[in-house]
Amino acid sequence: MVQMQGSRPLVEVVRLGLVSYQEALRLQQVYVDRHRSGPAHALLLCQHPPVYTTGIRHQPYPAPLLEDLRLLGADVHRTNRGGLITFHGPGQLVCYPVLNLGSFNKSVRWYVGQLERTIITLCRRVGIEASTSPHTGVWVGGNKICAVGIHCGRYVTSHGLALNCNTDLSWFSHIVPCGIEGKGVTSLSAELQRDVSVEETVPHLLDAFREQFNCQLMDTPEKDS
Amino acid sequence: MAMRAALSCLSANFSCRLPGLSSAAQISATRLLWRSGSPRTLSSTSALSTALKFTDKHEWVQVDGGIGTVGITSYAQEALGDVVYCGLPEVGQRLEQMEEFGALESVKAASELYSPLTGEVTEINAELTDNPALVNKDCYAEGWLIKMTIEKPEELDHLMDQAVYDKFIKSLEE
Repeated sequence: MVQMQGSRPLVEVVRLGLVSYQEALRLQQVYVDRHRSGPAHALLLCQHPPVYTTGIRHQPYPAPLLEDLRLLGADVHRTNRGGLITFHGPGQLVCYPVLNLGSFNKSVRWYVGQLERTIITLCRRVGIEASTSPHTGVWVGGNKICAVGIHCGRYVTSHGLALNCNTDLSWFSHIVPCGIEGKGVTSLSAELQRDVSVEETVPHLLDAFREQFNCQLMDTPEKDS
Repeated sequence: MAMRAALSCLSANFSCRLPGLSSAAQISATRLLWRSGSPRTLSSTSALSTALKFTDKHEWVQVDGGIGTVGITSYAQEALGDVVYCGLPEVGQRLEQMEEFGALESVKAASELYSPLTGEVTEINAELTDNPALVNKDCYAEGWLIKMTIEKPEELDHLMDQAVYDKFIKSLEE
């Protein structure tokens, strides 16, 4: 695909399907490393089996607490992203953009805002009024519908966002999601009072992402995990 | 907040130390014409060891008595947003130039920090544990991150001085 002078950045869409959190981390690293030889933006899409993850601030989550979460039947993982504890599981659309911000805007603050705005646009398209708040992420009223937590090294991003489509929200009751007391979680299905699957949501996400980031998307066939 | 601290003259091949600058002050002086190929004489006699040097990853280092104090620039703290957590190395940890030595978290984003020099960490800013916002409020003074020994002083010569850094961030904003 020939990229013309001054055209929008090209982002490769990579559909990973249902992959373990560890496998997704490994694949993200592959895509991060690709950026060493020039811009090679990718948008990884997947779902995870149930897993709780923590970020660089891991002191609030000592080993015994994490063990209790494992007993629920979930995996547990410490990561190098920003943000506190969250949950990923089936029915949640997880999106890991591996972008070189040098092709966009070299501000982490801008990038996080872009991810939030992408999800707000997606929600609007399906009839949900979502918003941002002083707490990062996308909210519908007092309930979080999408969590955001990223890592940036040498302008290359990893980790990303997790949008509840028809996630079993009871998994969240065992944690204080993102460390924010007194707030709940929600999903597209809960808001629209009908089943909204990840598969149905993906095209909306790609449209909103393309528009918000002013980029071109290149879809690839589903990769084997 | 590009600092307009300027230099009166500088040797064109950048192999000398800078004339001294007070770290965060704006000095009204002739703007450095660094593109000029002809060597120029140093006109200031202030202690060279206190001038700030910069990396292209927006860290600054200030040398004093053989110890380098490291922080991030105003451009960097602006791009991060409100810092909520500073992940810093242990005292005694040895760092290579450009090696990741920690991360700052803001708006749910963990952004890595890169060591401007090779040396050993002698001190970390304990104030940042309870007050990470110092990095935003006072990035050149109270918001310092680490102090380290300077194993290879020649590495300082390859870092940007104030004027070059100012030009660098201007080019990023275009």
